[in-house]
Amino acid sequence: MKRVTILAKVDPNICTGCKICEKVCPVYAVKVSDRKSQVSEPDCRGCANCADRCPVHAITMVKRAEPFTVGVDVSRFDPGEIKELCAKAHFNPEQVLCYCVSVRAEEVAAAILEGCDTPDKISSRTGIRTGCSIECIQPILRLLAAAGIPLKPDLNGWQWYGQTVTAWTLPQEVKNKYGSRGFYFEEDKALLEQIAAIDPAQ
Amino acid sequence: MTSQMMINQGIKHSPILPIGPKPSQYGIDPALVKKRVAELPGMCSLQLSELFPELPPVLFPGGSGALERLYEVAMEELRKVDMSFIQPNHSVNLLASHHGFTLLGGQPYAILLKATREAILEKTGCKNIRLRAGVGMRFRETEEYIKRYGLEECFGQGKTKGVAPIDEGIAIETEVGTLYGIKSVYDADWIVHCHHTDVREVHFHRQVDKAVKPFGMSYARIETRSTYHQNLGPRAANFTARAIFESEFVQNKFAFASFLNVGPHGVIGVDADNDLYAVNDRATFIGCQLYGKVMTLFGKIGECIAVLDFPCPVPYVFSAGVIYANFAGANQDLYDMEGTPLPPYTWYTEAFYKKDGTPLLGEIPPLNPAIKMCVHNYAWTGYPSAFFSDHIPTVVVGQEQSDLFDMEPMNIEYMSHSVVAKTTESAMDFAYKVTGTDKVIIFDGAMGGLNCSQSLADLLIAKAPEVSEEVEKVLMPKWFRQRGVDMSILETLSHR
Repeated sequence: MKRVTILAKVDPNICTGCKICEKVCPVYAVKVSDRKSQVSEPDCRGCANCADRCPVHAITMVKRAEPFTVGVDVSRFDPGEIKELCAKAHFNPEQVLCYCVSVRAEEVAAAILEGCDTPDKISSRTGIRTGCSIECIQPILRLLAAAGIPLKPDLNGWQWYGQTVTAWTLPQEVKNKYGSRGFYFEEDKALLEQIAAIDPAQ
Repeated sequence: MTSQMMINQGIKHSPILPIGPKPSQYGIDPALVKKRVAELPGMCSLQLSELFPELPPVLFPGGSGALERLYEVAMEELRKVDMSFIQPNHSVNLLASHHGFTLLGGQPYAILLKATREAILEKTGCKNIRLRAGVGMRFRETEEYIKRYGLEECFGQGKTKGVAPIDEGIAIETEVGTLYGIKSVYDADWIVHCHHTDVREVHFHRQVDKAVKPFGMSYARIETRSTYHQNLGPRAANFTARAIFESEFVQNKFAFASFLNVGPHGVIGVDADNDLYAVNDRATFIGCQLYGKVMTLFGKIGECIAVLDFPCPVPYVFSAGVIYANFAGANQDLYDMEGTPLPPYTWYTEAFYKKDGTPLLGEIPPLNPAIKMCVHNYAWTGYPSAFFSDHIPTVVVGQEQSDLFDMEPMNIEYMSHSVVAKTTESAMDFAYKVTGTDKVIIFDGAMGGLNCSQSLADLLIAKAPEVSEEVEKVLMPKWFRQRGVDMSILETLSHR
C-alpha cells in the first residue's frame, strides 16, 4: 500500500524526446509522442525515476493536488492461497518486500491472485518498487514465477532484465569453493527458511 | 578535581568544526541550517589518536599541504602498479562510487581519482580515460560531485558520467548464472576500481569482501542489487559482488584497484594493486582493527541522544567513521558472523518485522536501546529511513526539512513517526527533558575525532583502553577466523 503524494511534471520546452523516461518508468506512466514526454497523471506512482534520469532536467516532481492511496485488500483473498504462494517463493506472508513503501509479500501475492501478471501491474496496484525502485524487483519476479507466470522483460525498456540466483538455486560447488571466505550460505538459507515458516499469528 | 578528571580535561577539546551543509537536491538549502549541535553549550570533541594512541598516523587531515602530499603519495603508489597491458589507443574507465565523496569532505577521494588518471596517462600514454561514478539510491548524487570537485575539467568534457542502477544494463555470465551490470560502467577496454577502505555499511557487507562490494552494488543494475538484498541472506549477500568480479567478462577488463586507505580518523595512505583480493585482505584488517575499535567503543554507551548533523541521508551520517545505521546496531557485534546472524538494523532485519510491529523471530535484536532519542538537525533524504523514525523517537529540526522528506519517494512515511521542532536549541531541550540523559553523540562528520557532550566524552575516555585490548586480543582473532583471513596480513600491512 502506498500513499501517492507526488507526480512527475514535464516541461515540454526543455524535453528533447530522448525516451529515457519511458525506459526507466516502472509503471509505464510516461510515454513520448511527437518528440515530447507526456505523463499519464493517474498512472504515475511518484518514484521520480524519470526526473532523476532525464539528461536535460525537463522533469520535476510536484505535489499532487489530490493525493491518493493504492493497495490491494489482502482480506479479500483466501489466506491459504496467499500463504501457499508466498511459501513457494520462500517468503513469509508478513515479510516486508519494499523498504521504501513497506509493501509486504502477502499484498504482492494478493495482487497476483487478483490478476496482475507483470511487475509493472503489481507496482501500479500496490505501490511496490515506486520508492527507490531498486531493491524489490527480485521478490516480485520470484512471486510471479512461483505463481507459474512466465517472465517476459520488455526488450525496448530498461525496467527489468531477469530473475537471478537465490539461496535455493546457488550451486553446491560455489558454496564449497567460497564457503571458507566468510560467506554463510547454508546458515543464511536456513534462516530465510525459518522466517518463511513462521506463522505470524503465533 | 580528581586526577582522572584532570586527565580527561586534557583529552577533551573544543568541538571540531563539523562538515558544512552542502547544496544538493537531497537536502535543504544550506542557508536554512542555522545552528550546528556542536556549537551548543556543553559540547566538546575527542581526538581518536588520543583515545586510541596505537592508530597509525594520517596524511589527511594534516594542515595546509596535506592534499598535495596525498596526491604525491598516490602517484608513488600507482607508479608501482603494472599497467603495461594498457595501450595508448585503448580506453579506460575509472570506476568510482558516491560514498568516497562523503569522506572527510570529499577532496581526498577526488584527489585519488585525479592521481589515478594522471598515473595511467603518465605510464601508458593512454588519453581516453573516462570516469564512471556510481550511486546508491540518489541517482543524481555523483553528477553533483563531478561538478563540485571539478572532475569534468580534469577528465575532459564528455568523459565523466554519473551512472545509476536503472540505466541500461549489460548481462554478465557468472558462476551463479546471469547477473546484470550497468552498461556504461563496462564500455571501455579496461576498468580501474577506485575505492576506499572506509567500512560504512558493516550491517550489509559484514566486512566480507568489502573491497569487492561495488561490483555488486554501485556498478550494478537493480536485478543484481536486489539479489544482494533479498535473495541470498544477510551473511551471504556480498557474494553477489564476488560472483560478478570473478566473471570472465569483468576479469578480462579489470586492470587494477586504486584505494584510499581510510581509517576512522583520516586518510592513512593509498593502496594500489593489480590483485584486488590482496587489497581486500588489507582492507579487512583496517575495517576490523581500526573501525572495529570505535564500533566496539560505541557499543559501551548505555544511554544517549544521537544527533544527525551531516550532509548525507539519515543512516549515513558519520561520527568517528561510524555511520548512524551502525550505531543503531551497536548493541550487537556487527563483525561477529556467528553471534549476530541478523544485525539490529539491516534490510533483511527490517523485512522481518510483522504488521503489528514486532519481529517475526524472537531472536531479532532491537535497534540500539541506548539511543533514547534522535535529534535530526540536518540530514538528507535519498534512502528509505522510516524504519529509524518508527523505532527511535525522532525530532526533526525545521518545517522545511519535514516538507522535504514528505516529498521524497523513499521517505513518504518518515515524518509519520517524527515530530518537528522549530530550532536546534528547542529540539535539544526537548530531548534532554524527555530522555533525562545529558550524554550526546553527534554524527556530524567531524574530522579526526568526534563531537559529543562532556559526560559522554568522560565515558568514552574511560572505556577506550579496555576496548582496545578486547578488540586486539579477543575479537580480532575471532573476526579473522570467521572470514578466512590469515592473521599474517598484519605483518604485510605493517610493511606498507
